[in-house]
Amino acid sequence: MSGILNRRSLLRGSLAGITASCLPLSLVKLSFGATAPAKDFTFAFISDSHIQHVGGNEFVRNWDRGLIRAVAECNLMSPKPDFVVYGGDIAQLALPQEIDHGLELMSRLNYKTYYVMGEHDFYLDMGEYWEKQLGPQWYSFDHKGVHFVVLNSVLTYDSWVNKWASGTERMGVMAGLDDPRGSPFMVGEEQRRWLAKDLAAVDKSTPIVVLSHSPIQKIFKNWNFWTEDAEEIQALLSPFENATVLYGHVHQIQYNQIGNITFHSAMATAWPWPYPESYAQADNALPVLTVPMNRADPFFERDATGWQFVDVWSGKASVSYSLPQNTSRTVAYDFEAGRPVDTKYPQSLLPPQDHY
Amino acid sequence: MKRAYCILSAAVISWALLVTNGVFAADTPLGLPPLIVPLDNQITVAKVELGEKLFEDTRFSTTGEVSCATCHDSNSGFTDSPKVVSEGIHQLTGTRNAPTVINAAYMKHQFWDGREPDLESQSAQPFLNPVEMGLTSHEPILDVIRDDRTYRRMVRRAFSIDPDDVTMDHVQKAIASFERTIISGNSPFDRYRYGGDDTAMSEAAIRGLVVFEDDGRCVSCHTISQSFALFTDGKFHNLNVSFDSISEGVENLVQAYSERRAAGTDVDVDVLTEADVSELGRFAVTGEWTEIGAFKTSTLRNIEVTQPYMHDGSQATLEDVVDFYNNGGAVNEGDQINDFLSSGIRPLDLTDQQKLDLVEFMKALTSPEYASSDIAQ
Amino acid sequence: MKHNLTLSLILSVFFFHSTPAAVADEFTQDDIDVWQAEYMAVVQKGRDLFTDPTLGNSENGVVCAQCHPNGANTHPETYPKFQKQIGRVIGLWEMVNWCLRNPLEAEPIDAASPDMTAIIAYMAHERRGVALEPGKH
Repeated sequence: MSGILNRRSLLRGSLAGITASCLPLSLVKLSFGATAPAKDFTFAFISDSHIQHVGGNEFVRNWDRGLIRAVAECNLMSPKPDFVVYGGDIAQLALPQEIDHGLELMSRLNYKTYYVMGEHDFYLDMGEYWEKQLGPQWYSFDHKGVHFVVLNSVLTYDSWVNKWASGTERMGVMAGLDDPRGSPFMVGEEQRRWLAKDLAAVDKSTPIVVLSHSPIQKIFKNWNFWTEDAEEIQALLSPFENATVLYGHVHQIQYNQIGNITFHSAMATAWPWPYPESYAQADNALPVLTVPMNRADPFFERDATGWQFVDVWSGKASVSYSLPQNTSRTVAYDFEAGRPVDTKYPQSLLPPQDHY
Repeated sequence: MKRAYCILSAAVISWALLVTNGVFAADTPLGLPPLIVPLDNQITVAKVELGEKLFEDTRFSTTGEVSCATCHDSNSGFTDSPKVVSEGIHQLTGTRNAPTVINAAYMKHQFWDGREPDLESQSAQPFLNPVEMGLTSHEPILDVIRDDRTYRRMVRRAFSIDPDDVTMDHVQKAIASFERTIISGNSPFDRYRYGGDDTAMSEAAIRGLVVFEDDGRCVSCHTISQSFALFTDGKFHNLNVSFDSISEGVENLVQAYSERRAAGTDVDVDVLTEADVSELGRFAVTGEWTEIGAFKTSTLRNIEVTQPYMHDGSQATLEDVVDFYNNGGAVNEGDQINDFLSSGIRPLDLTDQQKLDLVEFMKALTSPEYASSDIAQ
Repeated sequence: MKHNLTLSLILSVFFFHSTPAAVADEFTQDDIDVWQAEYMAVVQKGRDLFTDPTLGNSENGVVCAQCHPNGANTHPETYPKFQKQIGRVIGLWEMVNWCLRNPLEAEPIDAASPDMTAIIAYMAHERRGVALEPGKH
């Protein structure tokens, strides 16, 4: 990354040039004008490690290395992030040993971490072990004037949950992204009622950040890039001036703007997924705004994987992606355009990097 | 500085080298691609001869005892094998093992950490390094050239300039031109794979080639292509070689060196004089977290005669190297693996026979002109 | 000899008159249905292997479908092609074996084996309708 512009950005290593001073001038002016600088903060976002048990004390080396590297690099951040969010799918088949091994690797992080439930953490025992280790499956917290909401957005219809002979079978089916026997994700009525109550107590000018595993949008049903009650959740967020949804699950960079809500996805530390357009037999609704990542190079194990950190100012988020051996990318909120924009690739990537 | 390059046709190389004493190969060596030469530094006999003289001249050091050839000796595969790390003026040691000049002309980056992009810019650095030649500026070099009758004649012939007007740019271009003639292929492997000679390699080496391409997965980084083999992907990888010396407190080291880079520092001096900075590898050059502890993939051509191995010369024999990779990047099984290890490095579970064969294969990468080196394996 | 020839000539005229004309490679819709079912069975087998954690005696249980849901991003329509990272022109089967050896930490499969055919059939089937572009990077 060239064009280093200030000392603070330099100390972030490969993410040099990501800070406010490198954004279009309009953003900088507005962001400093709109809120007191002390309220601006940064948190890191690591997601989708899919720690996979092989046998005995052995786990899939590839996924382990991805998380180890993300944690090690995150520890290098300077200035330090305020906290870390883990976006879900720390395990692959929700086995206790997988959750434990993942948490052990995460324990090397020097910061407080908030965890989000993913389907790969959940469907073996409906989240029982995860809860035991990590606490409630949905909750909220406040930080420097921003209201954070953590949802379990990978629930599904009870009839589907109950039709399997065992938790193992159920988890195995849900673990297959493209398994036609799967079932769409949702937040569900119980959580929606809780969310409505939780948000009722929050001033409409308070920025909201929703941390979710599924996208709270309907992008591609084949691969469960989908939340069945997306519209209902969006409706609950619509009264707020600044609402952002951060989600995992998709293992790729996506971003979108629906009304007042900005959406950002997280990359996986484990492996990348192709964009839905790569599947020729189904249509998809990938947000038009998204400039996709380059097509992953399988010969470089960490290509198109990584982690990200989120800068919050003026109630909006900008997400900076740390991509191994690749140009780092920042998707920042453009106040003039009223939507997120990639600061490096305003239109699209050049061929032959396209997915096809 | 961006250079325009062109592919020098075999015919032009032949013409340019026609009047030499027959030492240089007139065509692209078997197993190598056509050499790419910068448009602003075409190879000529006059430049090559000047470059060779400059390369061997010990007057360009404070003690008058160190030249490029001191660490890049043509009798030792253009390295200072068997030295672990190189020794400059006053036998001062650096931190890194001298890479070979042979086929360096094909590299996209020079130095173990790629801190210079080409042969021209690389050649200027060692003169100014305190543990190499020790000069504080390039002026003494130009003084020597201007005052030496032979140099004056050679400079005039090579660049059609008044020798009083000689600059470091000329020096660098001459040295680079000389180095571009230090290319070699036509090893037993080349004759086997590209020359169609099934008898060119021993049975063991042929088995070793299979290990290299399959179970060993060496080709992932030490590349073999359809019509040539450079044996390097030109990329930088963290293999866990000697990283344990900085594992404790790597966060502080990274932070501290990032600040030094921001304030402006001479990376060339730092990496050769400070062992812990040296272990940061390419990170010291680019500041990229993903390149912490990463070093350039070496070519394996002539590897038999350029021992010891790795960026710090810490692996003495090819057998040691094979064991290291077989252990998944560990000298001893169970050694600590650092957090920044390059993907793809993992235990190989090779049999003893496969390991022996792999070493035999690597010995088959020695070009005939270096096969009679006086370095014993 | 001449007698037999005459006889066969008469017989052949007789047969040509009394039966429908023979056509090379004759098949009916029933045949097609049978063959299509055979093909889909192999495609299904390919899908099974695509999700089989023991494929190639894998050391780590990783399956193709983890990174290639519905075979996406395998690009069967572009093979054979110069595979940059391998440094030469390869067919799709070689890439399958590369994946087996590397991310799946398994043993390669013989190119001529029914398993390889099945895996290729699955990938091709999921990519049906996409124009051939051999050599495309």
